[in-house]
Amino acid sequence: MAGIADFLDSLIGGFDLICFCLMIGGLFWGACILRPWRRQMDYSQEFLQKTVTLITQGGLYLVGAQIFKIILKVWLMTALLNQWPFPEFAETTQFIGGLVRTFFILALTIYCHSKLRHHLHSKAHWLAALALTAPMLISGAWLVHAAGRFEDQLYLMSLTVLHQIAAAIWIGSVFQLVMLWILRHQGKIPAVLWPQLLKEFSPYGIGAVVAILATGLPIAFKYINTWNGLFGTGYGNLLTVKFILLSMALGYAWLNRSAVTAYSFHGNDFELIKRVPYYIEAETFVLITLLFTAASLASQPPAIDIPNLTATWQEVLGTFKPQIPQTQSPTHSALIAGEAGRVAIVGKVPSIAATEWSNYNHNISGIFLTTMSLFAMLSYLRQLTVLTPVNKILKFTQYWPIGFVLLGIFLFFRSDAETWPLGPIGFWDSTFNNGEVLQHRIATLLVFTLGIMELRARLSKNASATLIYSFPVLCAFGGLILLTHSHVGFQPKSAFLIQVGHTAMGVFSLLLACGRWLELKLDNPGKQIAGFVSVASLFAIGLILMFYREPLY
Amino acid sequence: MKKIVLIGFAFILLIDSNLVSAHAVVTDHTLAFEQPKVNEPKKIELTFNSKVELGLSRVFLVSKGDKHTLLKISKGEKQGNVVVSIPPLSAGDYALLYKIFAADGHLTEDVIYFAVKP
Repeated sequence: MAGIADFLDSLIGGFDLICFCLMIGGLFWGACILRPWRRQMDYSQEFLQKTVTLITQGGLYLVGAQIFKIILKVWLMTALLNQWPFPEFAETTQFIGGLVRTFFILALTIYCHSKLRHHLHSKAHWLAALALTAPMLISGAWLVHAAGRFEDQLYLMSLTVLHQIAAAIWIGSVFQLVMLWILRHQGKIPAVLWPQLLKEFSPYGIGAVVAILATGLPIAFKYINTWNGLFGTGYGNLLTVKFILLSMALGYAWLNRSAVTAYSFHGNDFELIKRVPYYIEAETFVLITLLFTAASLASQPPAIDIPNLTATWQEVLGTFKPQIPQTQSPTHSALIAGEAGRVAIVGKVPSIAATEWSNYNHNISGIFLTTMSLFAMLSYLRQLTVLTPVNKILKFTQYWPIGFVLLGIFLFFRSDAETWPLGPIGFWDSTFNNGEVLQHRIATLLVFTLGIMELRARLSKNASATLIYSFPVLCAFGGLILLTHSHVGFQPKSAFLIQVGHTAMGVFSLLLACGRWLELKLDNPGKQIAGFVSVASLFAIGLILMFYREPLY
Repeated sequence: MKKIVLIGFAFILLIDSNLVSAHAVVTDHTLAFEQPKVNEPKKIELTFNSKVELGLSRVFLVSKGDKHTLLKISKGEKQGNVVVSIPPLSAGDYALLYKIFAADGHLTEDVIYFAVKP
């Protein structure tokens, strides 16, 4: 149970940041871009109401997240320390700071709901709401990573808060743009508002990104002091992922800006209507993942503190080194024999059989995914005119999602070696008496079901939207899990070398999700390019798994 | 779409983690240069990179067969220092298992290995 509490703790951090962006970013969007007091006629009451509702909802969920965080800490401490953590916990900065912040968020939310909502065109009310964010933002400084540091504490706390504000301004505005598009699509706002606000957001977004870098880089230089620290620690690895995700999001932002610029010159709104909304949706996927990665980063020890536990960049590269996949599994009895020594603390004996068992599982899964992605790529390529003569022969390639079904069956047999069908513990006994086995069973069922759903979505001409979009959304969630599921355990260097492959797969999962999403939404040629990028990402995940080698620990 | 997002969250909840996230780490400890002697009580100093909430932290001595014994801990002289009192021990391999609640709200669980030699 402690594991679940800990994992929820890292997830709630990402959720907290999303709500924070909705609220703070929404208020800046209203006060700096919309400025309703200057445009009494431009904005309908309904549009401004929706804007404030999004801000208020963000605030309410943020209050919930803050309270849930405290509950999770209590849960986690009770589970780990085997005792009720009060009254000691009540005296900690985390508890007091958490309650103070909750109070300020609640006050701001109540103000937005009871005052701002009724004075939507009032400059004084918008500015008052912005001013009310100050105590909430300042109180948040005592809850960040830097609060526990000994050196440059105030400097790092201030920079972190400024970094959060800059990120909220950008990401919160993107959330508002998604809502703006929905309203535009439903015909609830004048069509002209869409290009107009997109254009106004452009320089504002650039300013926010510059502020993100200006505040983020000094923090990075404080916490990472060597190249090995950047490439050879969990902290550096997640920071690198943040840069990659930021670059991806900026790529979409650049596409949007180009479309807005083209519209300003030619007045043709085709791209603004048929492409930009979907780029923004994909950008939202990336930004949400970025927020969860940022939350996960806060749970890593800074690279500067663990020079003796840092892997070299050569060791990191080594984890991706192409090698012959392990296609022979150690025997089940060899695996079971080594388990007692492997899990012991004193007298620990690393189990070669356990490492090889894991390598085999990863490598075979990689072979499944690589083969599936090759078939998937062929299914795209067969549409090319050059391949028309063999089009019919290659028709079978469209059934590539069946690979997920086979992978599900493989995982069912291999995930829990100590249980049925390979081990002595019975199916029902293991499924309902062991939380971890239950989770593996359901995850296996999900992979199996995902294969069937995607197969139906691709083959059926009347597939429902839920069926069609399930695959990219679940892949995005999968990527998010791989990126947030990073922990430092009893063997930090070994754990990191395992983590580095998983974070790379997380990035490719996100690419897979965004690619498939855009393939479903865009017109050609973007549709085909996105589809191909999607399956190429699946191929890359397959390769990482196929060459995976677990460190002996 | 809401349904898909709910499925996604369900998917997330199904995945467990077995280790506790770590921010506070031991950057130095006296065991690195001075191992305890047989049958001699010892005070070991652990230096963390972060402020530690002592009332919410525990250190266990782990001996052969993974037997856990809760140890007494107190605040050291410098910031981030935790002093652990080790009872007299016979020769053998041991470990210190610590569960630390840092001021930034993160709980850390980790192990330091040591040996008592005759």
